[in-house]
Amino acid sequence: MGGVEDDEPASKRVKLACGELKGNPNGSLLSEPSVGSSRDLMARLLQSEDDEEVIGSKGVIKKVEFVQIIVKALYSLGYKKSGAHLEEESGIPLHSSAVNMFMNQILDGNWGGSVVTLRSIGLKDESTIKSASFLILEQKFFELLDAEKVMDALKTLRTEIAPLCASSNQLRELSSNLVSLSQGPSAGSSNQANLRAKSRPKLLQELQELLPPTVMVPERRLEQLVEQALTLQRDACVFHNSLDREMSLYTDHKCGRDQIPSKTLQILEAHSDEVWFLKFSHNGKYLASSSNDRSAIIWEVSANGEVSLKHKLSGHHKPVSSVSWSSDDHKLLTCGVEESVRCWDVASGECLHVYEKAGVGLVSCGWSPDGKWIFSGVNDRSISVWGLDGKEIECWKGQRTLRISDLEITSDGKEIMSISKETAILILDREAKSERVIEEDQTITSFSLSRDNRYLLVNLVGQEIHLWNIDGDINLVAKYKGHKRTRFVIKSCFGGSEQAFIASGSEDSQVYIWHRGSGELIGTLPGHSGSVNCVSWNPVNPHMLASASDDGTIRIWGLNSHLQQQKKQQQVHSNGGSIAAACNGRT
Amino acid sequence: MGRLFVVNLEGKIYSCKHCRTHLALCEDIVSKVSFHSRHGKAYLFSKVVNVTMGEKEERMMMTGRHTVVDIFCVGCGSIVGWKYETAHEKSQKYKEGKSVLERFKVSGPDGSSYWANHEVSQLIAGSDADDV
Repeated sequence: MGGVEDDEPASKRVKLACGELKGNPNGSLLSEPSVGSSRDLMARLLQSEDDEEVIGSKGVIKKVEFVQIIVKALYSLGYKKSGAHLEEESGIPLHSSAVNMFMNQILDGNWGGSVVTLRSIGLKDESTIKSASFLILEQKFFELLDAEKVMDALKTLRTEIAPLCASSNQLRELSSNLVSLSQGPSAGSSNQANLRAKSRPKLLQELQELLPPTVMVPERRLEQLVEQALTLQRDACVFHNSLDREMSLYTDHKCGRDQIPSKTLQILEAHSDEVWFLKFSHNGKYLASSSNDRSAIIWEVSANGEVSLKHKLSGHHKPVSSVSWSSDDHKLLTCGVEESVRCWDVASGECLHVYEKAGVGLVSCGWSPDGKWIFSGVNDRSISVWGLDGKEIECWKGQRTLRISDLEITSDGKEIMSISKETAILILDREAKSERVIEEDQTITSFSLSRDNRYLLVNLVGQEIHLWNIDGDINLVAKYKGHKRTRFVIKSCFGGSEQAFIASGSEDSQVYIWHRGSGELIGTLPGHSGSVNCVSWNPVNPHMLASASDDGTIRIWGLNSHLQQQKKQQQVHSNGGSIAAACNGRT
Repeated sequence: MGRLFVVNLEGKIYSCKHCRTHLALCEDIVSKVSFHSRHGKAYLFSKVVNVTMGEKEERMMMTGRHTVVDIFCVGCGSIVGWKYETAHEKSQKYKEGKSVLERFKVSGPDGSSYWANHEVSQLIAGSDADDV
C-alpha cells in the first residue's frame, strides 16, 4: 500500500501513509471534506502501532488487510460515511494517497497526470505499468474521437500509444477508428450512442482488475472470502442433500443423516422373477424396471411420491437386461439379453419397433440425445446405429463392446462409451472419429455416466467402485468400498442433490450409499431378501431412491420424515386407502 | 440368482464341466505335470476367470506349507480347484497368485472330460507333489 515495499512491517506502512494523509485524510473516491484534524489522526496512528499486527486465533489474518477489506465492503454496500469513518477511526486508509490521486485523475480525465502517478504507486511489474498506461491512453484516444478532435487523437495515437503497442494489430484496430470517423457516419455502421469511449468509472474498474491487490484492494473481496468458506462447509457436509440453497453465516453448515433416504416407503411387487435393472426418467415422473421374467415395467411417480404401475411391457423372449429413456421421456428402449432391442411408447405402452440383426444378438441399448438414432451393442463386439424406422445406418466393427457391457452416450451426443476389453472402457468420439480408453487393473463389470458427462463410475470384480474423471485428462478420482460382489452384475449410480452421492446394489441384499467427495460410507439400507442388482436415484427428487432385487421386488426409499408422514396418512384412511402394493411399517 | 457376470475367453478354453462357464485358457498353463488332487491330474494356470474364492486356509502339502483358497465356478458353485495365496518355502514362491484347476472338474479345449484315475493312490487331498 502506498509507495512502500510490501515486506516492510505494517506499522511502518501506516506511519508513512500518515505523512501523506495530511493532504488527503480519507480514502473515498469523491473528494469529501476531511474529517477530524490531522493531529488527532497522528495520535491515533501512533497508538495503532502498539496494536497487534495479526488478529484471529490462528494468527494468520493481518489486521491492516482485514480492516481494508471491511472498508471496501462498506463502500460497495453503499455505506460511504461508515467506510470513511472506519478508515479514520482505525487509522488504516483504504488506499494510499498516491492511489487516491490516481483514481481522481482518471475520473477527472487527467490522462497525463494519471500515467505519471502510475509510476509512483508502487508497481513492480513493468508490463503491468505498460498495460495500464495503454488502457488510459486508449481512453484518451476514444474520448478525443468522440469530441471530434481528430488531429489530437491522431497525435496521441502516434506519439503516446504506438510505443506501447504489443502488436501491430492493436495499432491497426485503433487507427481504423480514425478512418471510419473521417468518412463520416455511415448508415451501416452507426451505433446508437455513437460513442466509442467507455465511461470513466468503467475504465477505473478495468484498471482495478489489472493492478495487483496490494495496490488496490479488489472489489467484493470480503464477499468472495465468505463464499469460499460457505462452499467449503457445504462440501464438507457429508449428508448435504437438499434442494434449497440457504446457508446461514451464524453457524457452520452441517446436515444430519436425516437428509439421506434410508426408509422403505413402498415395495413394488409386479415382476414375477428377479429384477435386474431400473432407471428413473429424466423428469423423475416415471421409473422403468426390467426383469429376468422377460418383461419390463413402466411405473408412474405421482406428485406426492407414490409409485404405481402404468404399463407392463411384454414381448421379449429373453430376460431384459437394461432400459434406456429418450431425452424427452416419451419413449423407452428395452434390451433382451443377446436378442433384440424394442422401442416402446411411454404414454400408451405400445411397442413401436423391434430392432434386430440376423445371426447376432443385441446386448445393450441407448438413445441419441436428439431422439433420431438408437445405438446398440452387438454380441459380435460391434456397435450398431439404427434410425427410428429400423434401418441400420452404421456399424462400428472391431472390438467395441463385450457381451456383458453397458452403453452410455453423453448428452450432447458426441461420445459413446462401452466396455471394450475385460479391463478397459472405450470412449468413442463420433464426430472426430477418435478414441480414448480408461484402463483398469481388474475386470470391469458395469459403469455409469454422471449427469454432467464428466465422470464415469466403474464397478470392478474385486468389490471396488472407481470414480474416473473423463473431462480433459483421464484420471482416477476416488474409490468406494464396502459392498459385496462375487458373482453378479451389480450396478451403481450417482445421485442426490448435485449428484453428491454414490449408491450401489450389493449381493448382501443391502443398498450402499457413499458420500462422493470423501468416499465415506454413510448408509447401508437393509430390507431386500435377495441380492440388490441395481439402484437409481430420482434425478428430480434427491430424497427418492429405487432399488431392484433378486427377491423380485423393487423398493422405493425415502426420508424417515416421509415415512412418519405416510404412516399418519394411512391411519386417517384406515379402511384400505389403496396405495398400490405398498407395505406399511415393513422396513 | 441375479444377472451372472462372466468373462468370455477366446482361444483354447477350459470350462466348468457342469455349466460350461469359461475358466482358463490353454496358453495360461504354467505346468501340467506337477500337480495332483484327490481326483487325479491338475494343472497350474497363471490366470483363471469366473471363479469365486473361499476362506483362506493353511495347508501342508508335499512341497511344504502353503496358504490357499478353494475356488468355485461362479456359474454353478462347484469347486474347481484352489489358488495359492502364499507359499512359505522360498522355492515354492513362484506359485503365489496362480491357480490350480482339477482336470476332473473341467472340460478341455476339445470338449473332453477326464475320468478320475483311481490308481492314483494314497495322495493327500490337494497335494502337489513334484515329480521331479
